[in-house]
Amino acid sequence: MERETLDVDILIVGGGPAGMSAALRLAQLQKEKGGEPLSIAVLEKAREAGAHSLSGAVLDPSALRQLVPDFKEKGAPLAADVHHDSVYFLTRTGKLPFPIIPPPLKNHGNYIISLNHFVKWLGTLVEAEGIDLFAGFPAVELLFEGDRVVGVRTGDRGIGKHGEKKGNFEPGVEIRAKVTILCDGVRGNLTKVLVQRLKLDDGRLPQVYALGIKELWELPKDRISPGSVAHTMGYPLRNEEFGGGFIYAMPDGLVSLGFVVGLDYKDPMFDPHLAFQRFKLHPLVSALLSGGHMVRYGAKALPEGGWHTIPRPYADGVLLAGDAAAFLNSIRLKGIHLAMRTGMLAAETAFDAVRAQDVSAAFLQAYERRINASEVRRELYPVRNVHQSFEHGLFAGLAYAGLSLVTGGWWIRDPMPAQAGHERMAKLAEYYRDARPNPDVPVSPVKIDRQVTFDRLTNVHYSGTRHAEDQPSHLIVHDTDICRTRCREEYGNPCTRFCPANVYEMVDAGDGGKRLQINASNCVHCKTCDILDPYQIIDWVPPEGGGGPNYEGM
Amino acid sequence: MILVIAEHRDGKLNRATWEAIAAAQQAGAPVRVALVGAALTTLATELAAADVAEVLTVEHEALGAYTADGYVMALASLVESEKPGYLFFPHTYQTRDFAPALGARLNRPVVTDVTALKKDGDGFVYTRPVFQGKLNADVSVSGPAPHLVTFQIGAFRADAAARKSGGAASVRAVAATVDASAIRQKAEAPFKEAKQAVDLSQAERIIAVGRGIKSQENLALAQQLAQAIGAEVAASRPICDSGWLPMDRQIGSSGQTVAPKLYVALGISGAIQHLVGMKGSRTIVAINKDPEAPIFEIADYGIVGDLFEVVPAMIAELNK
Repeated sequence: MERETLDVDILIVGGGPAGMSAALRLAQLQKEKGGEPLSIAVLEKAREAGAHSLSGAVLDPSALRQLVPDFKEKGAPLAADVHHDSVYFLTRTGKLPFPIIPPPLKNHGNYIISLNHFVKWLGTLVEAEGIDLFAGFPAVELLFEGDRVVGVRTGDRGIGKHGEKKGNFEPGVEIRAKVTILCDGVRGNLTKVLVQRLKLDDGRLPQVYALGIKELWELPKDRISPGSVAHTMGYPLRNEEFGGGFIYAMPDGLVSLGFVVGLDYKDPMFDPHLAFQRFKLHPLVSALLSGGHMVRYGAKALPEGGWHTIPRPYADGVLLAGDAAAFLNSIRLKGIHLAMRTGMLAAETAFDAVRAQDVSAAFLQAYERRINASEVRRELYPVRNVHQSFEHGLFAGLAYAGLSLVTGGWWIRDPMPAQAGHERMAKLAEYYRDARPNPDVPVSPVKIDRQVTFDRLTNVHYSGTRHAEDQPSHLIVHDTDICRTRCREEYGNPCTRFCPANVYEMVDAGDGGKRLQINASNCVHCKTCDILDPYQIIDWVPPEGGGGPNYEGM
Repeated sequence: MILVIAEHRDGKLNRATWEAIAAAQQAGAPVRVALVGAALTTLATELAAADVAEVLTVEHEALGAYTADGYVMALASLVESEKPGYLFFPHTYQTRDFAPALGARLNRPVVTDVTALKKDGDGFVYTRPVFQGKLNADVSVSGPAPHLVTFQIGAFRADAAARKSGGAASVRAVAATVDASAIRQKAEAPFKEAKQAVDLSQAERIIAVGRGIKSQENLALAQQLAQAIGAEVAASRPICDSGWLPMDRQIGSSGQTVAPKLYVALGISGAIQHLVGMKGSRTIVAINKDPEAPIFEIADYGIVGDLFEVVPAMIAELNK
């Protein structure tokens, strides 16, 4: 097929905090250093900048201050200054406040933001610099010359459910670039392929992820003071599950409320979405929510493995930045500033490479040196083993986290060994032994009242998710036979529980058995299925451009 | 004065035009209706039956086929000569195509997807859904006239538009300044993605089926009921997703939004994605086995029971 091609000097894939910061930094370098102007393009799969951006979020402004020193004058949408931190250990009905706030959870000087608003704002700065921001265009494939990345292909539009070309068919475009900066986010579809092909994770620990589920609530205005930040540990999770809740209060009674669960739990019947519902029913939270209403919902995975899981972030013609390469501090629950920082460092490296007409891995290795000399390493290296220590349970993790503050992260075995989350999930027979549960019924159900607690389908509605219905499923399950046979028997179809958007359902097959029903148009692009499926037979690929959630205000 | 912009295609009025007229009549200001196009006599006569002050026709051969540029030019010139206080539109695809451009051309605000309005001093307060229909926002507009307002399909009832008792409204042709060479779009022959595309928004009665129908063969039951009362068959997403009915019969957030006189939901649990597409129906009848199904929260008549028992009984009774 004839495809249009577009040539640029630097292509940024993904218009999140990393990609937008890379683009802005490039514009600055251009002004500082002069010379032949570089052509730069940013690809974003969402129909509008920020529409797929989801986070808590508390922003550490260190990178922003450097990138946009006059961010306040430029109208950065910072919802509230953090003025009060609290951390609770929850029991079933009670709460124990931590006597002191653990230093990584001190948020003085940080801001509560809507990441959606923040990224949208960054997008306006990028466009004001005359950089092309192509929203609604997912990159679906890397273009290689040998093992050198030379650009990407964007997705076709107008393909019907069965792969046929519809009346509005438009082939994707080949965008060829001297340097491609992949900022395709957590479990990015291109980064995943690149890391596998070039073995960029050789010698690194397996990545471990968490799933964050969030709702935006409107509460009576005097309920909680804007700028209050609360984090919880404990209930409804057990010692064996990693995670906790967060409550961030913004002005006008808006509250971000969410729950993060490590995607390395053992119990195959564990259900992150139900855990979130239970969290909302805890007296601490339900008292807060009463009389309010939920206005938005979203979910997204996050890379939590830290320093030892970061893949080699460069190869011939390509750099990795932000969540795509796991630049996130799971102890501080923060990644936006690291995404911005690595985007900026990637931009500096890419700029030099294009100027020097050398985009080889040897030249681009300068990016790793920049990272090592920067705040990124200073922040991540001392906590390099902390997430892994939580594999041994909450209390072991907390103990090690405390210890690492003193020892600078040292441990007898460094890196502390770790296992990928999908390998940690136990089989039903191992976990439940003789008391095998019915996989179609929650082990301990939660009453759904559609006031405080919601079913997945109702929640999905509030994510604003839309996909053209007549297109092939963008969730590719390579062998659906495994779903109804082996997986049903061994794990009880955990996809029906870990997916926070009701994409996966086991429905009656009509022959007395069950079959997998994929509701791809519900997908909120969180990537959990790609990460946690125990057989690793699910591939998340981008749907037709523009499809996905609409995280306005999230 | 409120000027309602009528919508038509192939010599037929879009039913939503009457809904916009109903909204304008309810607003209480004098109402005129404008028709833009070529060869408008028949349509003008049809509209003149409405209880409005006047029907204005803007005819020009360059307006024969709809184009955004043509409509914007014609309406901008009409606004200049008639000086309406408000322009009311049905919130159709066509309106969405040209009304923002008209707003920009006139440098006037556009309020979209309005579901209700009430008088507020000299102007109006408009109600429009936000957050996917979870909340309603009241919007008022300041600044010079005219204000452009589009009305959600089904928010006002076409049959509530008052007709003139005796006689007809006068029809007046208004000369339009239309520069054919300035029209940048050229309409190709319309294409329909699905064959036999059905416009459910025009149906007066709808029988909708959900997962409770269990198998494709059982759709015959819904079709018989539809036949007995002269209704269209529609469905919730799982049915269309399985290919049991074509996608153009899907009701809900990823399908069509409808507001028929009668909506019968068979085996539909009432996920919010479905409800937002049909909650404006005048009378909702739900048949479902599960008494907790959310569909019963919005149904006017609910039957907790097995649709395979209830529906045959209904068909038998209707065919008597």
